[in-house]
Amino acid sequence: MSVRYLARKMITLAITLYVTVSFNFLLFHVLPGNPVQLLARSGHFDAAARTQLIKLFGLNHSLLVQYFTYLNDMAHGHLGFSYIYREPVTTVLGSAVGNTVLLVGTATVITVIVGVWFGVVAAARANSLTDASITVTSLSLWSMPDFFTGMILIFIFGVWSHVFPVSGIESPGLTTGTFGHVFDIGRHLILPALTLTLVNAAEFSLITRNTLVDVLVEDYIVTARAKGLRRHVIIWRHAVRNALLPVVTATALYVGMILGGAIQVETVFSWPGLGLLTYNAVEQRDYPVLEGSFLLFAIAVIATNFFADLLYQALDARVRET
Amino acid sequence: MSSTTSGPETSSDPGSNVIRKARSSVWRGVWTDHMGRTGVIMLGFVLFIILIGPLIFPFNASAFGSSASSILQGPSRAHWMGTTELGQDVFRQFLVGGRISLYVGVSATVIAILLGTGIGLVAGYYVGWRDTILMRVTDFFLVLPTLPLIIVLAALFGQSIVVTSLVIGLTSWPQTARIIRSQVLSLRERPLVLRARSLGARDVRIMGLHILPNVAPLIFANLVLVLSGSILAQAALAFLGLGDPVQASWGTMLHNAFNSGAMSEGAWWYVLTPGIGIVVMVLAFSLVGHALDRVMNPLRRGAR
Amino acid sequence: MNVLNVHDLSVEYAMNPGVLRAVDHVSLVVESGEAVGIVGESGCGKTSLGLAIPLLLPANATIASGSIEVSGEQVVGRSEVEVNLLRWTKVAFIFQGAMNALNPLHRVDAQILEAISAHEPDVPKAVAYAKVVELLNLVGIATKRARSYPHEFSGGMRQRVMIAMALACRPALLIADEPTTALDVISQAQILNLLLELRRTQDLSLVMISHDLAAIKRVCDRIVVMYAGIVVETGTTDEVLGRSSVVASPAHPYTRALIQAHPSLRRERSLSEGLAGHPPDLSVAIQGCRFADRCPDAQSLCREVEPPTITVSPGHSATCHFALGEAS
Repeated sequence: MSVRYLARKMITLAITLYVTVSFNFLLFHVLPGNPVQLLARSGHFDAAARTQLIKLFGLNHSLLVQYFTYLNDMAHGHLGFSYIYREPVTTVLGSAVGNTVLLVGTATVITVIVGVWFGVVAAARANSLTDASITVTSLSLWSMPDFFTGMILIFIFGVWSHVFPVSGIESPGLTTGTFGHVFDIGRHLILPALTLTLVNAAEFSLITRNTLVDVLVEDYIVTARAKGLRRHVIIWRHAVRNALLPVVTATALYVGMILGGAIQVETVFSWPGLGLLTYNAVEQRDYPVLEGSFLLFAIAVIATNFFADLLYQALDARVRET
Repeated sequence: MSSTTSGPETSSDPGSNVIRKARSSVWRGVWTDHMGRTGVIMLGFVLFIILIGPLIFPFNASAFGSSASSILQGPSRAHWMGTTELGQDVFRQFLVGGRISLYVGVSATVIAILLGTGIGLVAGYYVGWRDTILMRVTDFFLVLPTLPLIIVLAALFGQSIVVTSLVIGLTSWPQTARIIRSQVLSLRERPLVLRARSLGARDVRIMGLHILPNVAPLIFANLVLVLSGSILAQAALAFLGLGDPVQASWGTMLHNAFNSGAMSEGAWWYVLTPGIGIVVMVLAFSLVGHALDRVMNPLRRGAR
Repeated sequence: MNVLNVHDLSVEYAMNPGVLRAVDHVSLVVESGEAVGIVGESGCGKTSLGLAIPLLLPANATIASGSIEVSGEQVVGRSEVEVNLLRWTKVAFIFQGAMNALNPLHRVDAQILEAISAHEPDVPKAVAYAKVVELLNLVGIATKRARSYPHEFSGGMRQRVMIAMALACRPALLIADEPTTALDVISQAQILNLLLELRRTQDLSLVMISHDLAAIKRVCDRIVVMYAGIVVETGTTDEVLGRSSVVASPAHPYTRALIQAHPSLRRERSLSEGLAGHPPDLSVAIQGCRFADRCPDAQSLCREVEPPTITVSPGHSATCHFALGEAS
């Protein structure tokens, strides 16, 4: 991978981040009026506090000055102060981000493995009964809202039987050492991760199946067959890698999707991550936290895309020189 | 290997006829596809219940139960789908809520498709700087995480069904724009279009007469997918408490069920009724969309 | 022993609706060391015939009748696993336009190597790799370029890689489907020379499928003309297409039309230019001669009765009522 390519990607990344931050300003500071109007709507402050806050936020200055103040704050990592938690937004977000990474990370790994596997099985037996069953199952799972899937799992595993815990990340008052603690978190992780996996693996399996069906009629697949290669070698070595390229490109959509799913799933299972934080911020109109978490979500997607681009480079020799 | 299918080389003649025939009657193609037919039937069923149901069962959806004993009751002859935490009839709420879910889904989709088609058409037709600018904007919105953005917009601008429709519509167009653009890019090089341009036909006329009709099937297939996405987005928004509190959709019902402890009470009827409503509606649209894709994608069609 | 013995082969494609018989009771024999050219317009069934030999037909195609023997081994009716043992070791394939016939994500040396290790798993990696390099050198590709990706090569170079790959397991028979079609004129000549040279040095039998009569004439001993799924004429290239000392004497009007449409030195002209109309729709039954609708000499007999295959001279026959010239 050439240095020039990397440099160009970095510049694009920087521009996208700048635009995102500015978009955030537009969204929260310009469109709804100003933060104080939001404050008034949130109902957490009285009139005297409002006047003070107008000065504090610098709202007596022009929009342009406010914008630069905002950029300066961003550059220093100041995301404001939560109305509810009475703590800096960065602190509030910081305590939740790890839990979301754990949930989304686990779900993504399982999603990719399970989704790709089912997609390959369906495509390898295209138009068979197996294919039809996988496709119909995937479409049905895809048609379920994440939160509803979660609620059904709660009924099955938490209400009708008590197999898995359905709320929170750990059992209160449990003191069984490090291993017991990790095991406890793992048990709490199962249902939320399963929920996210079901919906997203369905999407993955559909994408993989369709691209693979297209790849399997390519000439180089006929060549591979003519060479007398075994079926699984043809599928996994020659077809899947080519079929996965479009999947890698679709990362932006996937990350956006799984984060959207995480908000719902964390809400349903009271998993203390960014999603639950977002939900609570919406409920209680805690706009600084909402703003901070939205920015974090956006940056996560942009960063993932950046790395997906690099991965694509590594996978596809054809684009390496450009 | 059964997966490597394609027409024989002779397909250049009879094969293309088959494809042309299929294009001229997309609907017949959807109907002959098992999944497509299932989708159409499910859709007819859902629409019947949503649109005709409230006329057949003209109850007041928000009527409260008469006594404490009517709260969170399971299905019975009086209450087919049980009662809510306020003793209301779940089935009546279900009938009314479906209309709202569908209304938001459809109006958001109309907005998204109009925006996406317009932007894709202009970007693909004019190439050059207009294309560059529009595609940069499209890419930016494509990267923004949709549901968080919708949540933020709804939290900032209110929860009425009109705002919800606008918010979902204004965030769901980028993929449509991309798909339409790439199709227009290839259409604009067609001899017919080139001739029309060299004869000095006005751009609007060419787009309306030669390009739009050719992207119409694509728009339609995309519309069905955007529609399922919009219904899901609306449901998620309502579940997170950002639905219209006055006009309760299926998502709002699930929000109420979840927050009133219906889960721990084991009131499955309260959760499953609106939930299955959403799934069936979205699945119906997905099945039709899937069938449309198979009918219109000759390659996958050949692979049947 | 013949390296290829195709007898009474029919290939049908399931269409929606109905079936399309792309190859209709075709027989074809290739003797050891022989090169046979199959010509015809696109859509005449020649590629389907070629693909059928190592059972590479798409899934919606079935072999409706006949048998295929490769180096004495029956192919039809064998399982995928059994046929895999014959593929590349007995019969190798070169595909049209090597752009897409090589996997774009794998280096070319790896693609050749995997063919060797699939059939000779006991050969040490180093030995097998040495053979890969040797093969590439044989077709004129330098050792230092072995680790390239297909997109780093020109079309002609990719076709050379394809040929090197085809020779990897020393097959008795090589089927080349339009090996020069997608190439520029100079690369075409080089690839044809390479094929000629390999025929001599590697003891290869060759089936070359092409609509390029000049290429067939240059490489092949015998020619098989296909039209609408059947063989309409077969004979030595010398006799059918002519050679310096021999006057071309095609016996079928279709072959004559092909030759007219294709001045030997002007390859850029497309085949069907001198011929009005299209081959018939093979999904409906045809009465009489398949070529009658386009034949300049067609009589009422041609539209009613299917023509017999008439022997014009030893080893030269044509499926035409007037193969011996009574028509005019």
